[in-house]
Amino acid sequence: MAVSVDEAVSAGPGRDHTPSRRRRGGRGRSVLEVALLTVLAVVMLFPVLWMIETSIKENRDVYAIPAKFFDFKVTLDHFKDVFAGSGGGRSALSVSFLNSVVVAGVSTALATVLGVPAAWAYSRFSVKAKKDQLFFILSTRFMPPVVVVIPIFLMYRQLGLIDNKLGLILIYTAFNVPFTIWMMKGFVDEVPAEYEDAAMLDGYTRLQAFWKFTLPLLLPGIAATAVFALIFSWNEFVFAIFLTSSDSVRTAPPAIAGLIGGTTIDWGLVAAASVVFALPVLVFAYLVRKHLVAGVTLGAVRR
Amino acid sequence: MRYPRRIGRLSVPSRKAQLAAAAMLVATTMAACGGGGEDDGATSSAPKAPATIPELTKDPLTLSFIWFDWPPAHALEDFANAEYTKERSNVTIKVKTVPNANWHDAMFTQFAARKTDFDIPILDSQHIGEAVTNGNILDITDFVKKNIDVKAYNPYLLAAYGQYPQAETGKRDENASLYGLPLLGDTWTMIYRKDLIGDKPPQTWDEMISVAEKCQADNPGVSGLAFHQANGSDAAAVTYNTVNGVYGGNLWDAKSRKIDGVVNDAAGQEAMDVLVNKMKPLTAKGSGNWFIDEVNAAVAQGKACIAFNWIAASGGLLDPKQSTLGTTREQILDKLGFAPLPSQKTNLVPLGGMGMHISAYSPQANQAEALNFMKWFEQADIQKKWAAAGGVPARTDALESPEFLNAGPFNKVYADSVSRMRDMWNVPEYARLIDIENTNVNAALNGAKKPKDALDDIAKEQQAVLDSGNRKGGGGL
Amino acid sequence: MSESAPLTIDQPGQVASATPPAPGRSRRLSDRWLAGAFISPALLLLLAMSVFPLLWALYLSFTDYSATRGGPAHFVWFENYTAILTSAQVHLRALTTLIYVVGAVALQTTLGFSIAYLISRRTHGRGVLTTLFLVPMMLSPVVVGLFWRFMLDAQFGVINSMLGSLGLGQVEWLTRQGTALLSLIVVDTWQWTPFIMLIALAGLTAVPKYLYEAASIDRASEWFRFRTITLPLVWPLLLIAVLFRAIEAFRLFDLVYILTSGGPGVSTETLSFHVYKVAFLGFNTGTASAYGILMVLIVLVLTQLYLRYLNKLKED
Repeated sequence: MAVSVDEAVSAGPGRDHTPSRRRRGGRGRSVLEVALLTVLAVVMLFPVLWMIETSIKENRDVYAIPAKFFDFKVTLDHFKDVFAGSGGGRSALSVSFLNSVVVAGVSTALATVLGVPAAWAYSRFSVKAKKDQLFFILSTRFMPPVVVVIPIFLMYRQLGLIDNKLGLILIYTAFNVPFTIWMMKGFVDEVPAEYEDAAMLDGYTRLQAFWKFTLPLLLPGIAATAVFALIFSWNEFVFAIFLTSSDSVRTAPPAIAGLIGGTTIDWGLVAAASVVFALPVLVFAYLVRKHLVAGVTLGAVRR
Repeated sequence: MRYPRRIGRLSVPSRKAQLAAAAMLVATTMAACGGGGEDDGATSSAPKAPATIPELTKDPLTLSFIWFDWPPAHALEDFANAEYTKERSNVTIKVKTVPNANWHDAMFTQFAARKTDFDIPILDSQHIGEAVTNGNILDITDFVKKNIDVKAYNPYLLAAYGQYPQAETGKRDENASLYGLPLLGDTWTMIYRKDLIGDKPPQTWDEMISVAEKCQADNPGVSGLAFHQANGSDAAAVTYNTVNGVYGGNLWDAKSRKIDGVVNDAAGQEAMDVLVNKMKPLTAKGSGNWFIDEVNAAVAQGKACIAFNWIAASGGLLDPKQSTLGTTREQILDKLGFAPLPSQKTNLVPLGGMGMHISAYSPQANQAEALNFMKWFEQADIQKKWAAAGGVPARTDALESPEFLNAGPFNKVYADSVSRMRDMWNVPEYARLIDIENTNVNAALNGAKKPKDALDDIAKEQQAVLDSGNRKGGGGL
Repeated sequence: MSESAPLTIDQPGQVASATPPAPGRSRRLSDRWLAGAFISPALLLLLAMSVFPLLWALYLSFTDYSATRGGPAHFVWFENYTAILTSAQVHLRALTTLIYVVGAVALQTTLGFSIAYLISRRTHGRGVLTTLFLVPMMLSPVVVGLFWRFMLDAQFGVINSMLGSLGLGQVEWLTRQGTALLSLIVVDTWQWTPFIMLIALAGLTAVPKYLYEAASIDRASEWFRFRTITLPLVWPLLLIAVLFRAIEAFRLFDLVYILTSGGPGVSTETLSFHVYKVAFLGFNTGTASAYGILMVLIVLVLTQLYLRYLNKLKED
């Protein structure tokens, strides 16, 4: 029994200081565990696979009872419908994808520009009531969107920001800045302050030291942080559905949700749109896989 | 954790900055409150549209509608761009669409913002009260008097899509103001499987239920009935209202604004009992969240003997690509029949469809263009063309025209149902009333509440909404 | 806080450097200025986009204001709050939310930890496995909600279809009181189990090997080792994850909106969903603001708890 635990925690395989009777027991159990993991992985991935499968099925097969797992005709029509409008030209869905790119991209850039310097300052300087400030910053990130949207809605109507990409960009930036600060502060903490001190000994100002020495070291962290901000803005739904209404502003999540609730549900199209929508996120998430733990906990946990 | 200590205690933001921020905050709050006060006084009643259409612009202009995403919205955009531009070549028509579930919110959040990106909101008939009370749409009474031939319409259709305060069922009050004109008429149609229950549709509600029962027993895998049960939009509520009407019930007493004791009277109770205990058992398992599209899917997949759906949403049923009932439109029509609803104690059917209205916040040139569009749209020959393009007109001559009656198998159902229609409450509190009814009927249909309790809760909660006047703490809970 | 000491030490170096040194005093000032310049834009944005709207909501929560009806806002003081706190409708939603939060978080913690434990015992394919398990977490709640709605459909859904092939009957996943809330919990669990798994895995792989080795020499039973070594070391980290998830689950709106829209009846309406209805169906902005403020207070308490555990973790 001990073997498997030892093997799991020690990197090298083939370590063996247990009696063979125990090892055989361990192997049997190991098989069981692998089987269990496989089952769990299949369960977790099945919905994703089913989504991909639905996206390449003809509508007739989509509704088939019992469900068709293998013997269906493959079609790429749904993917064509995602991008091409029914009357030629661009579909409303593809316009919403472009809107998502703009809104997510700009809000992420803004959050990075605002958040990274603040994170550096919080890490390097001893700021008055730093803990309180950081708590305040974190708590704004935890506000329930449905609650925030009420006063934001009132504020935006005075400012003319309803149904406006800028309105979405600003609110997404406001949700991403706390995340950026918390996440980046961890990265800045990891860069020894001595680098900057040394640079300042050479006569650089602190700002130059930050710009020339610390910032380049932070770039991978900034990239990871930006990707998480991007994913948040890309996936966000609540603000998007309440603050936008026209095709030219609406982002992809409400547009995809709008695919159902007409007179017929085209599940094939819903699936294809979902696949197209999810793909960039999965690619990005894969790129930052090393920082996932930090990313999903707002930088709180970093191991 | 490493905090370099060399810099000493900095106060960030500095005290000065904190003060400035606080001052800004206070100032903005004051401005906001002031702003709130300023837009309040102006909106006691709806602004009036001119009686004659002002001079129209020659510059390029986009006339925007807002509707929810369904085939008639696309039909309208195509039709208007093809036909209206013949008369007004500088105008482009854009029909913006939002998800059905988001339709009311999308229009009224923009109204609340006092700024709309649409010129012609297509309101549900029951939204008029809310829009008029808040001053969101133009009063077009004078315009209609001067430009529209009101005698060409069934008076109730004009009233249902334009009049406020609400008209009595079947009538129009000629002294009341008008705020809209009919765009698309609609009602429920009964969709039945000719190959399973025969060519002749059931005539009474009781007969319909027993036919469905027999059909379900005879055809394993096919359920007797399919109808709207969802708790979103107005799905479950319209279903109950329909049965309520057929069994002689009333939704409210409009004059005394009384709901409690009216909707849950003996007739109301019987209707709820029929719906939950006789009709629901004939529906498919898990159909408790069905709305328009799920009912259509069930029919197209051959899974229902008798179904009820809005006529304007039924076009897709004849599309062989979506259907397993046949490979051509004709084959499908061999199996599917469309008929007006059966009657029981009364022959009432639900009024659906929507009117066009003019946003009070739209630029003047667009408002003028909108008036011109309305006048154009309500002409006899244009109404016939709209009928041929897949729309449902409102003018009596268009409804009786072959262009309309031949355009779809369900159009005759509509023409035959016009005189039988009844609407819900058209009051500013509509959104709350419909939500209360939807959730409670949905709960009763899905066994989350006893039918009688659900009906009594509807009566009690709706009455509270009407009585509260929305002017005290805790309104809307 | 010895701010002067390092600066004095700095002096000789600066004398030696080519560029003339900045006097310590002005350096400190410029640092202060720099910190201010770097932090205040972010704080100003948060003040404008989070604090100001919330203060506005706080003001409205004491009034009967409606965003659409117009008319001046009258102060009703605590009427909104007392109405909310005494409303049976609100209590019902609070209970639903509680069941949902506790159910979902408990389920995903158990599952997530188990998967992490199993993965941590593998030597090969860990990376691939982890990556595969993480996919659901990255999807938009819209995609997750829509897709599960399709899969859970009683008539055409693949879940019932598979149950049917196994000879089991159809289950009304989304339209029965018990199963609808369960479905909501299951879908949330499907999406967020990877989150717990990820953090638990981080904790498990950080457990020092020598502890196990020592225990293995002692021939301690596996359960004993799990209880005395693994769990105490992973628990603090797990607690962070659990609290984080609890806050997120408490805020949940989109999944309800898409999966059940609160049905059947109101049995899956969470507090967030109820606030939405009050705010955007009846446009009872005053009431909705008070409702929102109460929810914010709960979130603040949870956040405070979260931070406390986080600090404890860091100190250890």
